[in-house]
Amino acid sequence: MSSTLFTILLSFFSVGALLSLFWSQKKTISNLCSNLFAIAGSLTGIILGAFILVTQEVTSLIFVTGLPLFSLSLRFDMLAGYFMLIIGLIGLASSLFGMGYMRQYFKLYNIGLFGFFYNLFLLSLFLVVTASNGLYFLFVWEIMSLTSFFLVIFEHKHHDTIKAGILYFIMTHVGTMFLLAALLLLYGATHTFDFWQIRVLAGTIPDWLKDTVFVFALLGFGTKAGIIPLHIWLPKAHSAAPSHVSALMSGVMIKMGIFMLFRLFLDIFPNIPLWWGIVVLIIGACSSLLGVLYALAEHDLKRLLAYHSIENIGIILLGLGSSMIFFSLQQPVLAALAALAGLFHTLNHAVFKSLLFLGAGSVISQTGTRNLEKYGGLIKVMPYTALFFLVGAVAISGLPPLNGFASEWLTFQSLFAGVQDPRIGLRSLFLFAGGALALTGGLAAACFVKAFGITFLARPRSTESKEAKESSWMLVVPMGFLAVLCVAIGFGAGNVVAILEQVVAQFTLFRPSEIVAHEGSTVVIQNGFASMNMPILILTLIAVTSLVFLLTRWVSRKQKVVRDVTWDGGYTGLLPFMEITATAFSRSLVLIFKGLFQPTQQKKLEYIDANIRYFTKTHEINFATKNVFEVYLYQPLLAVSIMLTKKVKQIQGGNLNAYILYIFLTLIGLFFWARYF
Amino acid sequence: MSIHSKIIATKQTIIPIDVLSQEEDVVQIKEKMNKKIRHLFKGSLAIREVDAGSSNAEEQELTALANTFYDSERFGIHFVASPRHADMLMVTGPVSRNMARALKKTYEATPEPKIVVAVGDGAIDGGIFKGSYGIVGGVHEVIPVHFQIPGDPPSAKQILISLLSIIESLDRKGAKK
Repeated sequence: MSSTLFTILLSFFSVGALLSLFWSQKKTISNLCSNLFAIAGSLTGIILGAFILVTQEVTSLIFVTGLPLFSLSLRFDMLAGYFMLIIGLIGLASSLFGMGYMRQYFKLYNIGLFGFFYNLFLLSLFLVVTASNGLYFLFVWEIMSLTSFFLVIFEHKHHDTIKAGILYFIMTHVGTMFLLAALLLLYGATHTFDFWQIRVLAGTIPDWLKDTVFVFALLGFGTKAGIIPLHIWLPKAHSAAPSHVSALMSGVMIKMGIFMLFRLFLDIFPNIPLWWGIVVLIIGACSSLLGVLYALAEHDLKRLLAYHSIENIGIILLGLGSSMIFFSLQQPVLAALAALAGLFHTLNHAVFKSLLFLGAGSVISQTGTRNLEKYGGLIKVMPYTALFFLVGAVAISGLPPLNGFASEWLTFQSLFAGVQDPRIGLRSLFLFAGGALALTGGLAAACFVKAFGITFLARPRSTESKEAKESSWMLVVPMGFLAVLCVAIGFGAGNVVAILEQVVAQFTLFRPSEIVAHEGSTVVIQNGFASMNMPILILTLIAVTSLVFLLTRWVSRKQKVVRDVTWDGGYTGLLPFMEITATAFSRSLVLIFKGLFQPTQQKKLEYIDANIRYFTKTHEINFATKNVFEVYLYQPLLAVSIMLTKKVKQIQGGNLNAYILYIFLTLIGLFFWARYF
Repeated sequence: MSIHSKIIATKQTIIPIDVLSQEEDVVQIKEKMNKKIRHLFKGSLAIREVDAGSSNAEEQELTALANTFYDSERFGIHFVASPRHADMLMVTGPVSRNMARALKKTYEATPEPKIVVAVGDGAIDGGIFKGSYGIVGGVHEVIPVHFQIPGDPPSAKQILISLLSIIESLDRKGAKK
């Protein structure tokens, strides 16, 4: 059944890709073909994922090829099924959105080629989560990286896009290099590329090799997931790609890194040492905190969202890291809880982040700019986009009763459980992580007050946003779908946890009987240490809100309300440029974290009469922040590599005689080596 | 009702000269004032002062109301910073062309019910600036005016007495209804 469904899925995407390429002269048909087949494929993916989750059956398929060591081995288990469900859901929304969104590119770019890469990209995502042979995995991983690279540079007429694409290309291949090294090391120790044989043989791998593999895998998958400090490609690539591709990349593709980290550290390697978990936990805490801080300083809407992806990857890693620590401490129940929290947040982040990216895309398609300062007042002209964006913003800020709250609550609970550890070092580590998560949540809420307020409220700051209209139904419906999903997952958190218990139970490390985290719709932690019931929470919230509303209505029933313009001190006109800007909103926070942002402020004053400095003609303030990672980490690296290449240039001078001398010397050397060793 | 028809419909009452020349002590005024303000305004009469183009003479006198001798705060009379908080608008000076629009906006921003008092000769009909090209005219040309306090400028005590008579007349009106 799984294999049949998977074949259908494969053929949908392949046919979509080829048809889209075939019709590339007829843009409308090509666009329709690629997206309809992508929708069909995603639906199949959802069915397949749900089927695996419901039946809980594990299917392995192996197609032996003529090549040595390379076999097309697929494995459908609960974790893969869960991720397929996520890919399917986001793919479905993005493809429908893409059908409407791509129209703006009809006259400018090759739609057929885009459809081809888009379908292949979605396909490669499904292939990555099912791959269970190392070499085959690297192959599909590379397809995913390359297709997404081509999607990123789709708007290739902009210079910035190409630059962002190249950066992404380099970073992702640096990551792949580490992965290759890690897999080859594993092969050296176990003589197999098959993940499940590696899992069986994991006990025989020496410790130092395991540690090296851990570091390489963390670097490799971390680059894809966008952990700090390997994140620099993420904001640039996400903002350069078309919005529904950003939604897919941020919602799903970076999760592939997370997926493999879960698979490797919780499923394949048993008996992980304690420091692995500590490293992951620290990286998670730093990524979440720095991600949200950078998001605050950003006023490019899509880059802001991209930085929030880094933040949420950090939150997921907090779950994974504490799970690894608990496992090393022989506390499987807590480990399962933490892993569950991480997986839950993966789903939630995929849903609300793609919702936000689609919302951003809807805004960008109308205004033609990504600059927050040029928006304003869009709630009046784009009410549906605004509503759905608000739902996404509330969810990502982790406010009840939406889905973000449920998973962040679970993450908090697993961190609190860690604080109970008797060892002072571990306890303070968990305290630090918990504090980081709390601060992250608060700053994320502040950031989305900014993003939503500046974009949708007040008055339009540019003619483009003044003349904007609501996007077509093809853009609005997918957003609505994801917004409903946000609310539904929040409401049914107990049920999602019940499914996730089964997913987690299939990991090698845990025994199913040990995991109990739900009773009906209530999520219960540590036998009643803490519990949460989302339906009751939601009903309470609704009841309290309506009670307060009715009470205020009753108290002020005799008062007359008059609507009038804002009192402006008798001034003749309030103009949009007087509204608070995104930069001004975040300025105070930027100044608090001065050491991190290293803000620079430049003032430019021009006087009407330079001798009498009373009346200014123009007054300009430039407020900029420095990208610390680029300046202090990547630029020195670049300088060193350029210096090294210059050194190499002395040997490789282009002089033919010198080359012949090298060959001669090498030959002599080889002779000696063959003779004496 | 538009502001123009309101201007026509509103009757302006000039505070008569015999009221202004009353020889009452500040303490006596205080007693009466306190009672009325407590009764009519629940103890607090908030005034927004608008300088529509005066020579600042009226401002001097109004500022004197807040000094230690008169100390209008003890009667419950405050000068507030925004028309949104005001019960009464006190407009001084002839309305200059530049201030006409701001004055109208101030009037509109003041919540109902509101009393408009024009302070000084300038505010009544332009005073010594009457007929100048730079002014629109008295305050009643721009916004509805209920009471006018004559004098160039009226002294602080005269303003206080006038306020008392205004409040008393408001009370009488209320009693009639």
